[in-house]
Amino acid sequence: MILELKEANKLPMKTFRWLGVNELKVLREIPDIKPFEKIEAEGIGVKELVVTRNNTFPYEKMPLTGMGEEAAEFIHQNKNQEMTITVPKGRKVKEPVFIRYSLTKENPALAEEVCIFAEEDSEITLVVIYEGEEEANAFHGGLFYLKAAKASVINLVQVQLLPDTGFHFGNIGAEAEENGCIRITQCELGGGYAISGICGELKGDGSELNVDTIYFGDRERILDFNYVANHYGKNSKSDMRVNGALSGTSKKIFRGTIDFKRGASGSEGAEGEYTLLFDKNIKNVSVPLILCGEENVSGKHAANSGRLEEEKLFYMMSRGLSEEEAKKMMLEAWFHPAVQNIPSEEIREKVSEYVNRRLSHVKSL
Amino acid sequence: MEAVKNKTYVEDVNRSIYDIKDKVNASYKASRGLTSGIVNSISLEKNDPAWMREFRQQSLKIYKELEVPVWGPSLEGLNMEDIVTYVRPNTKMQLKWEEVPEDIKNTFERLGIPQAERTSLAGVGAQYDSEVVYHNVREEVKSLGVIYTDMESAVREYEDMVKEHFMKLVTPRDHKFAALHGAVWSGGSFVYVPPGVSVEIPLQSYFRLNAPGAGQFEHTLIIVDKGASLHFIEGCSAPKYNVANLHAGCVELFVREGARLRYSTIENWSKNMFNLNTKRASVEKNGTMEWVSGSFGSRVSYLYPMSILKGENAKMEYTGITFAGNGQTLDTGVKVVHAAKNTSSHMSSKSISKDGGCSTFRSAVVMGTEADGAKCAVSCESLMLDSESRSDTIPVMDIRNDNVDIGHEAKIGRISDDTIFYLMSRGLSEADARAMIVSGFAEPIAKELPLEYALEMNQLIRLEMEGSIG
Repeated sequence: MILELKEANKLPMKTFRWLGVNELKVLREIPDIKPFEKIEAEGIGVKELVVTRNNTFPYEKMPLTGMGEEAAEFIHQNKNQEMTITVPKGRKVKEPVFIRYSLTKENPALAEEVCIFAEEDSEITLVVIYEGEEEANAFHGGLFYLKAAKASVINLVQVQLLPDTGFHFGNIGAEAEENGCIRITQCELGGGYAISGICGELKGDGSELNVDTIYFGDRERILDFNYVANHYGKNSKSDMRVNGALSGTSKKIFRGTIDFKRGASGSEGAEGEYTLLFDKNIKNVSVPLILCGEENVSGKHAANSGRLEEEKLFYMMSRGLSEEEAKKMMLEAWFHPAVQNIPSEEIREKVSEYVNRRLSHVKSL
Repeated sequence: MEAVKNKTYVEDVNRSIYDIKDKVNASYKASRGLTSGIVNSISLEKNDPAWMREFRQQSLKIYKELEVPVWGPSLEGLNMEDIVTYVRPNTKMQLKWEEVPEDIKNTFERLGIPQAERTSLAGVGAQYDSEVVYHNVREEVKSLGVIYTDMESAVREYEDMVKEHFMKLVTPRDHKFAALHGAVWSGGSFVYVPPGVSVEIPLQSYFRLNAPGAGQFEHTLIIVDKGASLHFIEGCSAPKYNVANLHAGCVELFVREGARLRYSTIENWSKNMFNLNTKRASVEKNGTMEWVSGSFGSRVSYLYPMSILKGENAKMEYTGITFAGNGQTLDTGVKVVHAAKNTSSHMSSKSISKDGGCSTFRSAVVMGTEADGAKCAVSCESLMLDSESRSDTIPVMDIRNDNVDIGHEAKIGRISDDTIFYLMSRGLSEADARAMIVSGFAEPIAKELPLEYALEMNQLIRLEMEGSIG
């Protein structure tokens, strides 16, 4: 089937057209979306949670998503997995919930719609892992709706380890009420073409959005991000940290927006994007926006890109490491802030192995 | 209950000297709107050579093909059918101020131009509506082979040089208002600095638009040849009318090998002005381009000086301040393309928004595959003085080379209470503390301006303080 998105990952405020960053156009053939079976879940049976496999939440009430309406509508219409997890008032679920999807030749397409509702003063951690077989030509499209009620916490960790032949998009709409907190960790490490969008609506006073993302572009990989934090509530906070590395002829565009709406006084937004560059033919585009309609706020962003610092490399080599080992170790440190958020030693190791496997293709190492 | 805080009050830019209107006394005025016939009549009036007549008509065709930019501030209220594109003042270009008609001369006197010429400039061009009414350059500068004249004379007297460079850097295909400029341009300055010549004191062109509902489309073309250097200052203002005025000027700067050019602008158009200006510099090996830019006026501005660093070690520096008050949407910024080895750029921008004003910093940094060893640093700070206003930052970095070093930092915020407390603990009154913070915020820009402009800027950002902390 054909997936067409005319205006995905739209920049909240447009800029010069010749730069080609205002939106993403997608036109791709993807495998037909049929009932999906390769799912493993751990923890969804715990009694603190109410889990339904059919979404009852009215789609039209979905908040804004990072990738936009077209992508949300596509998943809503074509989904082959859906789930609503409700955490009742006052329940703090200690153990993380794990969901693992394996995309295979027989089950190559996954279109999932997931809603997480954390009621007042509750807490949940959901970890979702996407893997697949090389020959699957996999497609994964996700639509996540996260709603954190008063003083609740939602931790969402997504680990995307699809093979190079895979095409992936993840689209998140998040909403936080008074003192509600949403933390999202994305390890966008796989897939030949990966798109990610997050829109956080910080509606309540003291609400928070924290995003930690890592990505690794090698060979001809294409990565396209659009993260937006809309501050409505007073004293709301957002923090987006994105660490990535690019090699081969890979291309990445990161759009990150902090938008202080009028009335969001006392709010703070920060955005940091750091990119390691390994090869001459990469394309690294950064678009960090701060939009501000409120006087009493503090917003800052910083972006940096360049090669690994030679002095550090030299130091590590002087301590007995080979150049390759030193570079790998530095890259691991680079990814550490997001990887440490994965609440499973096994998955952290899996990520590390996956990255090391990919690194063996990087010529400059 | 939250205590009500008295807010810092920063006055609007004082416009009294800019707002004095002269009676319109034109020797020729084109009809309103934009047609092939109007463009042709401008050609005839200016006695264009055949190539320029053809160029104008070609640009008009392109103008009709291109759409209005959809990414920037709204241009609602700007209707080309209402704009008079050419108003020739009732005087020829003069070499002495005494020969300039009294009313026009008085206007420039009020703006301090003849005085500045006497004390601190090597040459002055003064444009009134569509044409230059005064142009002069000091003999000692002329004797070095420096050419500084109005564009209309340059098209005739230095035709080959003009033809080789005119709208080659900013082509009519660039955007709709560049095409408009190509069709109806008039006035502006032409400067050529020969190899190795260093012009020690600045040249200045001042652009004054007096006629209501008119457009100003001056063209500035500067060539600084190998190893030469120049500081060029551009000033612009207009009185306020109830109808929309349009400024769609074009500046093309050619900085040859080892040359240095500083281009300073203080823009203080009235608040009925749509300022859609295009500025671009091409910088060759070891050349240096410096932009100093102060944007205070206009209703809507689109202004992003661009530098193409095409030669090894070429450098660019940009220092800019934008002050957006009530009814203003000032969309300003900078663009740079690193297209050669070891090129470097440094951009520092400050903006202040108040009383519902909207300031946007928009930038583009492109580092190509050939930009090995290139470096770029962008710093952008915005100060919001109330919550009626807006301040947006929209930077883009497009990197296509691993051997580059690029850093970007942006901050947005208000005057911090802690800083005020600190300064007060050192003995300052609150009003003085606030004044010091705002002056300090603008200081890095002020120090880059010629002294008289720095003083003017300080006057423009005059502060009146009152109140106490919460």
